[in-house]
Amino acid sequence: MTDLAYAQIDQTILNTLERPRPRYWFFVALVFCGVLLGAGAWTYQIFVGIGVGGQNIPVVWGTYLINFVFWVGIAHSGTLISAILHLFRAGWRNPIARAAETMTVFAVCVAGLFPFIHLGRVWQVYFMLPIPNQRFLWPNFLSPLVFDVVAISTYLTVSSLFWYTGLVPDLAVVRDRSTGLRYKIFRILSLGWTGAHHQWLNFSRGYLFFAALATPLVISVHSVVSWDFALGIVPGWHTTIFAPYFVAGAIHSGLAMVLTLMIPLRHIFRCERIITMDILENVAKTIILTGLIVGLAYGTEFFIAWYSRNPVEIESFHWRVTGTYAFGFYFMAFCNVLIPMMLLLKPLRRSIPWLFGISLIINFGMWWERFVIIVGGVAHDYPPHSWGFYAPSIIEYTILVGSFCLFLFLFLLFVKHMPSISMTEMKETATHAG
Amino acid sequence: MPAETYIMGLFRDDGKAARAIQDLGAAGFSFRRAHSPIPSHKIMEVLKLKKGRVGWFTLTGGILGFLSGFALAIFCSVQWDLIVSGKPIVALIPFVIVGFEFTILFSVFGNVIGLLVCSRLPDYRGLELYDPRCSGEHFGVLASCESTRQGELMGFFQKQGGEARVFE
Repeated sequence: MTDLAYAQIDQTILNTLERPRPRYWFFVALVFCGVLLGAGAWTYQIFVGIGVGGQNIPVVWGTYLINFVFWVGIAHSGTLISAILHLFRAGWRNPIARAAETMTVFAVCVAGLFPFIHLGRVWQVYFMLPIPNQRFLWPNFLSPLVFDVVAISTYLTVSSLFWYTGLVPDLAVVRDRSTGLRYKIFRILSLGWTGAHHQWLNFSRGYLFFAALATPLVISVHSVVSWDFALGIVPGWHTTIFAPYFVAGAIHSGLAMVLTLMIPLRHIFRCERIITMDILENVAKTIILTGLIVGLAYGTEFFIAWYSRNPVEIESFHWRVTGTYAFGFYFMAFCNVLIPMMLLLKPLRRSIPWLFGISLIINFGMWWERFVIIVGGVAHDYPPHSWGFYAPSIIEYTILVGSFCLFLFLFLLFVKHMPSISMTEMKETATHAG
Repeated sequence: MPAETYIMGLFRDDGKAARAIQDLGAAGFSFRRAHSPIPSHKIMEVLKLKKGRVGWFTLTGGILGFLSGFALAIFCSVQWDLIVSGKPIVALIPFVIVGFEFTILFSVFGNVIGLLVCSRLPDYRGLELYDPRCSGEHFGVLASCESTRQGELMGFFQKQGGEARVFE
């Protein structure tokens, strides 16, 4: 996996924490402007009202919910790579696990903003929380929306703790090679970690439990997100396939985002000997698998609609391939199922430009998949007189751009100030390879 | 009684560090701690350590979480006992979801508390008898002896293939 000695591993990764060049700060400032733009659009919406978005009867769930599902999906591959592949002892995950975990934490943070944005009157969010209030009203735990509040907040807490726990030994490495203020900061952050035998004994055990707990959690979280839709009696939503369909889609988009982030990262930080071509190829192979599962799910939805002989369901799926948003359906099928199959060809799988391009296309396609599912369901449900159309407004587009900028802003700050590759796990990989 | 001196033997190979730990007792020195950049199975085997007790904290957290999740969902439902969609007021099947999420959440809290308690973290005083090279590529064995035997212990580590660092 890697032929580097411990010192080389440390040096390669510590080099990523060197004082950034002006170009880095220029990019940080640029994405921060995008964040301000998004924040400005949200502020405008708060003052004027939710009507500045394109959502209206019958399509009351629009871009904000699409973004929410998209970002939760992105968050999933981090836990897949760090927890599930850790349990399977897949050594190739080690160089990319930290960045994927970081991606998870920031993506959940971004996702968590969208229910607030969609709420309109954001100050009334406390109604979702089980706290005493003047009307003696409590959350209804029969509602999938309340399941979602519990699941997402659990996922954010668990993934943040998992991420920080894994960081502690590496923070100690940075501490031991720092001076001045940086030393003081990392001394506190590393909790006085010294790699003593009793610390490793408990760390290894605790990390294993973390992985074992995060694995069912990650599957449950996107299942719960899917039930926001599946428990509603809307044609196109009300189906039992949604939980595995959403989980597979989430991992598909998350793996694509891993490639989108790791390819520039390895080039900029010159980590080609750590994040090797074999690792990127393994991610690509996993994308083929998830692409096939997603394709199977697309097909199964149509089969079930036909097999059920339910006229409303049949009409809904007929409209999906011939109606207003048919282009969205063909686009998502093309981007999420057909394009990833190009990775079956080894030369493309081992080509950086192809991998990067395909990962971007999948990300784009997965956003459209959520558009087709969410908007397509409510725009064309039971009574024909209530059928409608939805197009996002400029405010929604601005908030969408702002969300991507916020994610990139946090990620850019992280990779230059914290070890974005786990030195400890890389050393373990090197030891086992040796 | 002569003062105690702490000396750390630094090795580039965990096998040599493990052998030094094994021979320390026979040579009449007291083993204190081993430090390593990665978890070393060789060192763990020599120390004959039992499994960590973190799991008990995790299990306790999980049980508390399972009960809390169900209790919260039931408590909220009985505060406003309106039948919604024909479902019973205390509908156990949907509450499994809340119970499950709370089980995971509290297990993780238990896990983190267990990790901190069992690893005795945060421990900033531990840095006083620690060599920063142990987070890089060295395996450190901290031992103590009477100050009159300082030279002997240094010689012991050097004979084992390491270098010795004395903590004043």
